[in-house]
Amino acid sequence: MSEVTLTIDGKSVTVPKGTKVADAAKQVDIDIPVFCYHEKIGPLGCCRMCLVEVEKMPKLMTACTMDVAPDMVVRTTTEKVEKAQKGVLEFTLLNHPLDCPVCDKGGECPLQDNTFKYGPPDTRMEFHRANNVKAAPLSPVITIDRERCIACQRCTAYSERIEQGQGLVMLNRGFYNEVNTFNNEPYDTRYSGNVIDICPVGALTNTDFRFKARTWDLTNHDTLCAHCGVNCNITVGTRLNKLMRIEARPNDAVDDGWICDKGRWGHNFMESQNRITAARENSVGATQPTSFPNFPIDAPTEHAAEKVAEAFKKIVDEHGPDSVGLIGSAYATNEESYLYQKMFRLLGTNNIDHKTYQDTPGLPIDHYDIEQIESSNIVLLIASDPTEELPILDLRIKKAVTNSGTRLLCLNDQDTALDKYADQKVKYKVGSEASAVDALAEGLARELGDAIEFSAALDQTGISADEMKALVEAVRSSMKVCVVYNPAALSGDVGLRVKRLLQVISKIPTVECGAIPVAPATNAVGAMDMGLVPDFYPGGVSVTDTEQVKSLWGENAPTQAGLSALEMIAKAKSGELKALLVHRSNPAVDFPGGAQVVEALKNLDLLVVHDMLETETTQLAKIVLPSNGPGFDEGTTTNIGGRVQARRKSLDTNHIADWKLLSVMLKTLGDETDYPRAAKVLDEISKKVPGYQGINIRGVGKSGLNREKVSCEEISIGNANIDSSGKLRLRIANYLFAHDKILDASSKLAHHFKASMAFLNEKDAGSMKVGDGDAVRILGNGMEINAEVKVDNRCLAGGVVVPRISNEQGVNGLENLDGSPAWVSIEKI
Amino acid sequence: MTQILFKDINKEGLHTMKVYEELGGYQSLKKAFAQKPDEIIADVKASGLRGRGGAGFPTGLKWSFLAKDVFPRYLCCNADESEPGTCKDRELLLKNPHLLIEGMILCSYACQIETGYIYMRGEFHDLSFIMDKALEEAHAKGYLGKNILGTGFNLDIHTHLGAGAYICGEESALLNSLEGGRGEPRMKPPFPAVEGLYSKPTVINNVETLCVIPYIVNEGAEKYASFGTEKSKGTKLVSVSGHVKKPGNYEIEMGTPTSELIYNLAGGIRNDNKLKAFIPGGSSVPMLPADKVDTPYDYESLAAAGTMLGSGALIVIDDSVNIVETTLRLISFYMHESCGKCTPCREGTRWLYQIVERIMQNKGQLEYIEKLEDICGNMSFKAFCPLADACVAPVVSSIKHFRSDYEEYFKNVGVS
Repeated sequence: MSEVTLTIDGKSVTVPKGTKVADAAKQVDIDIPVFCYHEKIGPLGCCRMCLVEVEKMPKLMTACTMDVAPDMVVRTTTEKVEKAQKGVLEFTLLNHPLDCPVCDKGGECPLQDNTFKYGPPDTRMEFHRANNVKAAPLSPVITIDRERCIACQRCTAYSERIEQGQGLVMLNRGFYNEVNTFNNEPYDTRYSGNVIDICPVGALTNTDFRFKARTWDLTNHDTLCAHCGVNCNITVGTRLNKLMRIEARPNDAVDDGWICDKGRWGHNFMESQNRITAARENSVGATQPTSFPNFPIDAPTEHAAEKVAEAFKKIVDEHGPDSVGLIGSAYATNEESYLYQKMFRLLGTNNIDHKTYQDTPGLPIDHYDIEQIESSNIVLLIASDPTEELPILDLRIKKAVTNSGTRLLCLNDQDTALDKYADQKVKYKVGSEASAVDALAEGLARELGDAIEFSAALDQTGISADEMKALVEAVRSSMKVCVVYNPAALSGDVGLRVKRLLQVISKIPTVECGAIPVAPATNAVGAMDMGLVPDFYPGGVSVTDTEQVKSLWGENAPTQAGLSALEMIAKAKSGELKALLVHRSNPAVDFPGGAQVVEALKNLDLLVVHDMLETETTQLAKIVLPSNGPGFDEGTTTNIGGRVQARRKSLDTNHIADWKLLSVMLKTLGDETDYPRAAKVLDEISKKVPGYQGINIRGVGKSGLNREKVSCEEISIGNANIDSSGKLRLRIANYLFAHDKILDASSKLAHHFKASMAFLNEKDAGSMKVGDGDAVRILGNGMEINAEVKVDNRCLAGGVVVPRISNEQGVNGLENLDGSPAWVSIEKI
Repeated sequence: MTQILFKDINKEGLHTMKVYEELGGYQSLKKAFAQKPDEIIADVKASGLRGRGGAGFPTGLKWSFLAKDVFPRYLCCNADESEPGTCKDRELLLKNPHLLIEGMILCSYACQIETGYIYMRGEFHDLSFIMDKALEEAHAKGYLGKNILGTGFNLDIHTHLGAGAYICGEESALLNSLEGGRGEPRMKPPFPAVEGLYSKPTVINNVETLCVIPYIVNEGAEKYASFGTEKSKGTKLVSVSGHVKKPGNYEIEMGTPTSELIYNLAGGIRNDNKLKAFIPGGSSVPMLPADKVDTPYDYESLAAAGTMLGSGALIVIDDSVNIVETTLRLISFYMHESCGKCTPCREGTRWLYQIVERIMQNKGQLEYIEKLEDICGNMSFKAFCPLADACVAPVVSSIKHFRSDYEEYFKNVGVS
């Protein structure tokens, strides 16, 4: 892009063409006051606060709407400008109440600051100020003070341009205009809370934070949101060790300045009654495991940890290392995951996993960070529903499509909210993703003259040959393609098939390409990188790469692939697995198999659960260890874009940190390493994990650091076998505001909770004689759940989409324990 | 008197295709289709025709600003006619709808447009039926639709009713409203000629402007340019309202003295009162005192006298009126019509109203006049669109020319 040089207040500044004068001024530290302008939202020209003098222009110009031009001469401090600023501020304050002493915005209010700096000393307004509603709820979490609103339209522009909806609009006109919603519907989008951050006055307030604390009394902690894989940057404001509010902390490489409502209000779990605060022994299980010494109930956590380590060691001694296993967490920090895998590999086993789907570390092509979406001209979205899974990614894709001309291609088995932004939407039958992905790879390979036979059965996917041809052509002819895929939503080995597709794309000589794996969990990428998998050590080092394993992990490091999470459950059931440690994970509900998982876990000699909240699984555990979790813990996480960022402590706790607890267990097992601080664990990670060499806590700083590429194994897989033994294939979809342990009943977001729904294709609904609103039972795997039917063709015939809406719903129980295709049937109640 | 637009205006049945064609209607099409589009634009440029909606921007120039090679393009006829005092377009729409259609066809052909809209103010509900009927007739005759007169040129025209907002007469707010959005002005640039309706190049012209085009095509640019003054060519419809004996629409040649309009055409001041002031171009232009009544009615002369020709609505005020009352009424209009988008207009119009109202309640102070002027200074040219300037115009001009009227109220301060 060409550059333009202009002069502002005598200072010369060179900026890209198309920059607004207001932004150019910032580059040379010249303050042009604004209310309505926000660099992410774009110009509005409403507030008129940014008037400046421009040479050769007869009247004052608004710096926020004006593009820079070569040799433009701008003056921001002339008498004319100062008079105008005073005038505009006088108008703005004309009917603005002087309730700063009780206003939540007080102390961080642009109106206050600008008035102080540019405003008139007093007002000439001799009439009564207008009276208006002081507290009108726009939603259960946002309250508007209509008197304070200066009608700058920042929030409505945000709603229109960023969310790209009609959630918040201006109603009425002139003096009586107001920020409101159509038909008084609540303004409850997934990203509504951002309007509180961007409101330049105290009009849009956080209902939860209203009148709770003065802003200058808050201690602000720069940390990360721990809900989804985007890892948005947030500032947590606390007072007297109580969480007061969460605000966005703009980081263009990650969140573009926005956070979702779950990130802003889904923090009740930090103060939940269900928190595990001490180690305890449950009186569960038929028999007392002989290997486990009696455990005093009031033991300090460190002591309990030592006992746990001893017990595992003892079981390994008695039954061999393959009799123990670890189910780690895709929600834990890198440090915790790293230490956990270290501990279990020290025990001599590779029975380590954290997920129920197949995946391998690393990518065969570049791992793009989220920002690259905007510079790609094709985004290929596979099996992902960012709106429900990673909302801030959804905003980024919308932005790319509307502002950068990026074309979105959706390859999915269900309709998603992003489809309307798609250039092409290709829908395959639920369960046929292997053939759909292979067909695309095969098509591209053929274009390359590469005669790879994938024998993809396109006819079984419900995709027409023309559709696939167009999709192939769109990818082949693109300049830069970013593949965004959700490995967690892909069944069987399709995650690996996507990697094979990526390999093919990388061979197209004219295409620059990269991918973003978008598993929804907070640290899904980090868990893979840290080697929480049965067949890879940290950094994508294969367990069978004996030489490297031994050089990094010592002579005794196990080099046999271990059991996956689902295999461990199966072995627990058969009795071959004796002891299992579960970290920040709830297999009893979240794993396929339902009751069978519970049975299997009960069958263990020793189940240790290390978690922050009581779950169905902690109830089954012999020993429960407390985990601190987000808000209290510290460490790094790696987001979907491969960016390593620091999650910092916001609230003090007396409980021992997870990494410290782990270092106690490691020490018990004979590990000599001393970890005085969490940062020391990161130092070790940088030495031991390929890809993390340059990562240290100082480098990560406030905005994170992209890790290097993690190595990826050559992929070799056979042909896809589509199982079509049943009638209706189950697709479990995600719902952002699911009523789970994190968003419990007391959550501020409880108004978003939904009833259990089954989305059916009209063909199937017709043959089953069910219609919208009918109550049905969904049966599968010997389990049943209730749901309400919605006939909307969200998936093709032969499938049913059931969003996961709560723990009680138990939809995962409909899937088989081995993770094989789940066939269900539907019965009208 | 030269009559171009009003030549046959009172002919019985002019609104029907039959009568309109008998009087030579739609003859310009053949002539136009024989020319290249650019030639017509050049003709319109040569005629010196300037936009009759208020701003007086040269029409041919506006057409030539359309973004090159970007299609589709749109034509929007601005029939919002919301400027107080103006009712000329209404008469054209009511009595001669085919003239507008003919003008729109010519404009569309010249600018290579295939879709036109007639944006009418909500109050023109009844007129929209007349317009729809005329469009139907034109369709039936093959003047609209596909392959018009075998030329391969296609055009469809639709009417659209606004919801009754003054601001929707402003071209970019009109586009917002036409798209189904909120009637608020848009940021410029981009100008409509580059990114207008649905972000496509768009021509927006007033009804009267478009109605002149058939004459220019039929009679030639030179003939049209022979009327009027050096820089203000042709004729102008003027809506004379207020304290005259015969209010109504009159077509005059540009440059005709204003006194001719008031005393001759409109029959003079009612009750033979004395003229006190007049607003020559609709409520948003500064008013002039009686001694300026001989100012020639054209763009340049009125500008030299410190006001504007605007939309051509001559509002006549006699000496029975205190100008402060007039001013308050005008401010109240603008306060009501402010869209609320920008601060100076939203807050300023209301504040001006509050102050002038207080003056009229005999509760004012002499400093109020200075304050009014200062507030006007803070509003003018600082708002998003010209609505704030329109509100400022009567306040500033009334203080300038009729300060004594304000002082009347201060004499009686405390007396209510």
